[in-house]
Amino acid sequence: MNTAENAYQMYIDLIDSTIISYNGPFDAQVLSVIAENIEYSLSNNPRVSKKLFKIFIELAQNISYYSAERQKNDEGNLYGVGILMLREFKDHYSFSTGNLIEKKHILPVIQKCETINILDRQKLRQYKRKLRNMPSGVPGGGNIGLVQVALTADYPLEYSVVPVDDENSFYILNVRVNKN
Amino acid sequence: MENIHIEGKHGVNFIPTVDFNAETGVCELAGESYLEDTIEFYTPLYDWLKQYTTEVKKPLVFNFRLRYFNTSSSKCIIDILNILKRYETAGGDVTVNWYYDAEEEDIEDELEEIEDFMIETNIKINLVPN
Repeated sequence: MNTAENAYQMYIDLIDSTIISYNGPFDAQVLSVIAENIEYSLSNNPRVSKKLFKIFIELAQNISYYSAERQKNDEGNLYGVGILMLREFKDHYSFSTGNLIEKKHILPVIQKCETINILDRQKLRQYKRKLRNMPSGVPGGGNIGLVQVALTADYPLEYSVVPVDDENSFYILNVRVNKN
Repeated sequence: MENIHIEGKHGVNFIPTVDFNAETGVCELAGESYLEDTIEFYTPLYDWLKQYTTEVKKPLVFNFRLRYFNTSSSKCIIDILNILKRYETAGGDVTVNWYYDAEEEDIEDELEEIEDFMIETNIKINLVPN
């Protein structure tokens, strides 16, 4: 296949597999529309639907609170901007999110992902309990959303950080849930 | 002491149904909890429980009937359980029940979360299948 055919195949695959795709501010209104879509698209599989819903809320709230790119919604409130995709594959669903993060936040974010991925389920629950008891605002503490995502997903977190400019990088997270 | 009643709502956010009764000492938190400002919603509930457990000092039964709660809400559940635990330690009569749908698939995840609540707060939670 030449490059053009490759690109076309990529495009077709993407269109075919995509259930939901969104790019913009993550305000409450948008979150609720996407959440409804998830429930509707997966109404034939309540177990997976519930898992994806739980994961979605935490991923979306993380973008809403922590994205370095912020935008005003219609009511004038500032919300984090990012992208989100829910795709369906042969035996699993996959959530991908992306948002800008400031350079100084890269290390803590990566460390959190690494910590989450090396812990087994029992240790992960222990970690969640420890974080939950730390007051919000303490570096590394407070936010247990990502730990809950890992507990709900069926695979380790897949993540990467791509440099954008002097101040920001793009943080990508991929979370997979089995169909059965 | 006033009762608290908040009608739950599944809208842009999910507001749980709240029923705190000062005469009977029965408190219920039901439905789904995912709020725009979680702390703002739960603070009056903490205040009520603190007043009940320090002034009324009668038996207290807390019934959780939550189908869904996000991680921010789970922190508030911990705060509620800590208030109940303090009351129990001070000699108060406290019962905590967690009603769950036994038919629900993947109920293990939910039961694990309740076990985590017990480990974190040291209070006994009775698991009651619906």
